[in-house]
Amino acid sequence: MTGFATRARGFLAKYWGVIGVLLLWQGWVWAKDLNAIVMPQPLDVVRDLVTNPGIYLSNAALTLTLAALGLVMGMALGTAIAVLAWTSRLLSGILIPLGLIFSSVPVVALIPILARLLGYDVKTVLAIVVIISFFPAFVFTSAGLRALPPGSEDLFRVFGSSPWQRFIRLVLPSAVPSWMIALRLSAPPAVLSAMVAEFLMGTSGLGYMFRQSAADFQTDRAFGTSVVATAISVLCFTLATLAEKRVNARWS
Amino acid sequence: MSPETAINVDHVGMVFTLDDGTELTAVRDVDIKIGKGEFVALLGPSGCGKSTILRLVAALEEASFGRVTIEGQDPAELSRAHRLGVAFQDHALLPWLTVKDNVALPYKVAGKKVDTTRVKELLELVGLGKFAGARPSQLSGGMRQRVSIARALVLRPDVLLLDEPFGALDAVTRRHMNVELQRIWAEDEVTTLLVTHSVEEALFLADRVLVMTGRPGTVAMEMKIPFARPRDPSIQRTPEFHAMADKLTLALEPEA
Ligand SMILES: Nc1ncnc2c1ncn2[C@@H]1O[C@H](COP(=O)(O)OP(=O)(O)OP(=O)(O)O)[C@@H](O)[C@H]1O
Ligand SMILES: [Mg+2]
Repeated sequence: MTGFATRARGFLAKYWGVIGVLLLWQGWVWAKDLNAIVMPQPLDVVRDLVTNPGIYLSNAALTLTLAALGLVMGMALGTAIAVLAWTSRLLSGILIPLGLIFSSVPVVALIPILARLLGYDVKTVLAIVVIISFFPAFVFTSAGLRALPPGSEDLFRVFGSSPWQRFIRLVLPSAVPSWMIALRLSAPPAVLSAMVAEFLMGTSGLGYMFRQSAADFQTDRAFGTSVVATAISVLCFTLATLAEKRVNARWS
Repeated sequence: MSPETAINVDHVGMVFTLDDGTELTAVRDVDIKIGKGEFVALLGPSGCGKSTILRLVAALEEASFGRVTIEGQDPAELSRAHRLGVAFQDHALLPWLTVKDNVALPYKVAGKKVDTTRVKELLELVGLGKFAGARPSQLSGGMRQRVSIARALVLRPDVLLLDEPFGALDAVTRRHMNVELQRIWAEDEVTTLLVTHSVEEALFLADRVLVMTGRPGTVAMEMKIPFARPRDPSIQRTPEFHAMADKLTLALEPEA
């Protein structure tokens, strides 16, 4: 009983902000007697989430798959190009400034162009996630490949290492912590941009679901979608942060 | 000692160009010949160019004047053939590898099969058998140095270069490590150049001690060490040992 009490207190101490907002929201809807289309009650949102878990889950799974696929492809591409740039001073002189310039182009601005090129479907959504995840991987891996531990270059020369051995045993492992930063930075935007792209032109997924339910005045479902989306973003961020911490503990 | 010269530092001078363009002469006219299987210790005050000499022998630096050869060849040939073992002043362990993987690294770099018994033996020898699975960040400075010594020895190199390998150790552990190093060294009598600040360590381990002084540094004195091998730690309490230690200490601080 006391164990439950302390745990409840710990929960309150941590999440009192969220609980407060929910209570205010519910109270405000009651007090003003707002129409459910304008502003649903938190209870309605929860009811929809609990009674129709299937539709939320299937769409969330679609969005997550798309985000994960795009993230993997984008990071693989960014890493590969960073390695390519690392092999030659000429290439890095061209690619790194280009990467920095393009990474500051807002992706939303690219959506119409890409959509016209690739069509208004899932391909474009994927392309956008790939682009979003590409730049951090490229920029951070580029930096990481050059951040070798002190004395390690001398060490590999003294032991007569071939360039290839030096690359796989020294250069690549040195880049891992920077690569993890890129992963942490890319994971939440990958989910977010997948949803934005779905919202704008998708035919499935959480972003599309949000747009449909809003258009159908199913405000409780639209809010439920937002809740699920937020939960997914927070989850991705937390997982990536945990992974980064574990790697840093090993690499320090 | 032995007639065959393994390492030949032939009237070498080294000039560094600093960032502001000024030139700094680190060592001047250093002439050292080390016989095959000989153990030479290099003593000298901080900044006199001991590490510079070691780096020249390891082919990590090009001499500005004179020439370094090992067995008549460019020293880079030796490292290319994976026949050189070096323990650096600042250990240079890879943080993401465990202690035993760090020691096994030279095998992998050389494309050879890892001899796990050899790795284990060496870790036992440097007193780190229990730390095989630890990471460098979990070790003390002295322990890291010992790992780097094990790593330098693992391939049974033909030339061993040690830059203040026991600098971070307390006197007791240091004496113990000296005894162990002598034993490992005696196994294959590998040609060794040891940089150290400790007169006693130099006397205990080496066949010959060189004293470097000055800025730019140069070899000021040379002393043959006559004690028969294997040497027992008790020789450090003999009058001859003390007499030689006094002479070396005096050579290190000529102004005193
Ligand atoms: N890469 C470098 N660039 C410029 N100057 C250098 C470089 N390496 C060494 N020096 C200079 O050469 C001189 C000798 O340095 P070195 O490291 O060989 O000394 P040391 O005898 O090993 O000293 P310590 O006992 O403190 O390790 C110093 O004055 C140092 O500043
Ligand atoms: Mg030094």
